[in-house]
Amino acid sequence: MKFGLFYEISIPRPWTAEKERTVYNNCLEQVKLADALGFEHVWAVEHHFLEEYSHCSAPELFLTACAMITKNIKVGHGIVVCVPEFNHPIKIAEKTATLDILSGGRLHVGTGRSATWTELGGFGANPDTTKKSWDEFVRCLPKMWTQETFAYQGEFWSMPERTILPKPYQKPHPPMWVAVTSPGTEIDAADRGLGSLGLSFAGFDEQEKKIKEYRRRIRHCEPVGAFVNEQVATTNFLFCHEDEKTGVEMGKKLGNTFNYLATQLISTREVFSSPSYQSLGLLPALRRAATGPDASEQQTEGMAYGDPARIIRAIRKWESLGVDCVNFILNANEVVPQDQVMASLRLFAKEVMPHFAKKPHTAAAAAE
Amino acid sequence: MPLYGTLDITQDSKRLPTLPNLDTEAWPLPRAEMMQLLIEVPRSSTDGLLPKAMHPALPSYVILAVTKYSDSPVGPFNLAVLRLGSRAGAHPRGFLLGAVASTDAAALELRARWGIPVEAGEVKFVRRHDRVMGTVKKDGRTILDCALVDPQPVSGSDVQYINWVTAANAPLDGTTQPILIQVDPKYTFHKAERGKAQVATFDPAAWNAPTLELANAIVGTCCTVDTDLPRIRFVMDPLKPVFQGTRRIRESRADE
Repeated sequence: MKFGLFYEISIPRPWTAEKERTVYNNCLEQVKLADALGFEHVWAVEHHFLEEYSHCSAPELFLTACAMITKNIKVGHGIVVCVPEFNHPIKIAEKTATLDILSGGRLHVGTGRSATWTELGGFGANPDTTKKSWDEFVRCLPKMWTQETFAYQGEFWSMPERTILPKPYQKPHPPMWVAVTSPGTEIDAADRGLGSLGLSFAGFDEQEKKIKEYRRRIRHCEPVGAFVNEQVATTNFLFCHEDEKTGVEMGKKLGNTFNYLATQLISTREVFSSPSYQSLGLLPALRRAATGPDASEQQTEGMAYGDPARIIRAIRKWESLGVDCVNFILNANEVVPQDQVMASLRLFAKEVMPHFAKKPHTAAAAAE
Repeated sequence: MPLYGTLDITQDSKRLPTLPNLDTEAWPLPRAEMMQLLIEVPRSSTDGLLPKAMHPALPSYVILAVTKYSDSPVGPFNLAVLRLGSRAGAHPRGFLLGAVASTDAAALELRARWGIPVEAGEVKFVRRHDRVMGTVKKDGRTILDCALVDPQPVSGSDVQYINWVTAANAPLDGTTQPILIQVDPKYTFHKAERGKAQVATFDPAAWNAPTLELANAIVGTCCTVDTDLPRIRFVMDPLKPVFQGTRRIRESRADE
């Protein structure tokens, strides 16, 4: 079992001159500590226009900063929006290769297509075609990274023969993933040999079904890249505290706040009737959970908050379902003070991570 | 936290519909033809239109709907409504700004039963081979002329209708007072089409939204549905955040 951090970079109103900078700096401080503590990944989303929920519209810049202040932690684009109105595929290939070089071969590339009208409409993208453009992009990227020259004629983009530079540091290329929120996307991931970057907070039963199907399908995949990246990651909230009650209360506050902000997003399906967005993705589950910021009850199945013993039990369950990596959201709208986020990370590394480590963790860093 | 609306409906409660009670009986509305156009609007143009209890949608959008109800307890009628996309707590809702019904009986009953801010007028729902058109006239003046252009078949499962919220005076705890009412129709789809939303004429003042400006059309749909106007299940305090001020006044329907 591996552990990572997952950043939406949620920033509360009012957006004063210093607030966005402070939150970004808080995130960098957390990443630096996580690197020292032995966390495996730091993922950053690409979102646009999502007020308070996510101010992370240029994740490649944030991840470059992460790479510059860390030594081992892998930096994950989680995800790059593979829709031409958002990102030109040449630019994706160039920027990811550059980040892989700058990070010394620590890049993982998540792919996806955006789920909100707020974003798709903002870029003037047609929701009907995002799945198809994503499919084109993920088949082109490995070739753009690995071939000396590349030419392409497609439905969504084309280019004459050119040499796309630089090439990634990792050979043959960085591991590729796809964001999995809508039912069925885990099959898309498996069929293409991509890692399943789970972004939903579904309960054990639903996740178990998805993981089983993913494992079954990927054995017979035709990988889009030079290798199969068979990995299942899931997302969780983390707040680890010596006292279980304190940990659960703060964890619920974090989860409720995140969920409530997420439910304010306009899913594509809410306003644009399209067969390409039949599912509401993660929103129904979040709406069930997010009765409001002061909600006293929330689904807590599998959530990584509480004291270390409780969190170990939750992660053991995820492990038993076949999850390879749990990525943690540490904050939302800054409801968890930064010193408590840092203390939670340290306690988690000291008391929880050793139970899942293949090799001795960096105990010295945890003890700091 | 998310933004809140700024409208205090208690300050001008006389203009709101008044319900004699909250025991409204449901209306089955079979085989309704429902044209719905979704259009983004500048956030600034919605200032003062959304109750304090609710969150604005981001981006702001409105729903213009013209529906032909071929069968109802008050006979056939057409209804045009303007709803403002919003959130009641975590849930998408359309707050009813204005409405026009094609018969006096429908207007009277819709106001008194569900608090729909509806007046009687001329509402036409016309289907042509390449479009569905909706026109609304009040006092001889066209206040809405809109169309779904080049409709193409889609699956009913592709279409999502969000529930409505109305503002009305209604008896609660022994006092008639301004409240918000959730209206949550059910839909069974027989046919669904999607096309381009087009608005030729829109008079915002006639829809109780004088500041509203239409901007970018999102999409339009026209569906044939079995629907209803159900019994009232939830009411909300207009001044408290919905997650604090919601009251269930009736259990959910047996089919839920």
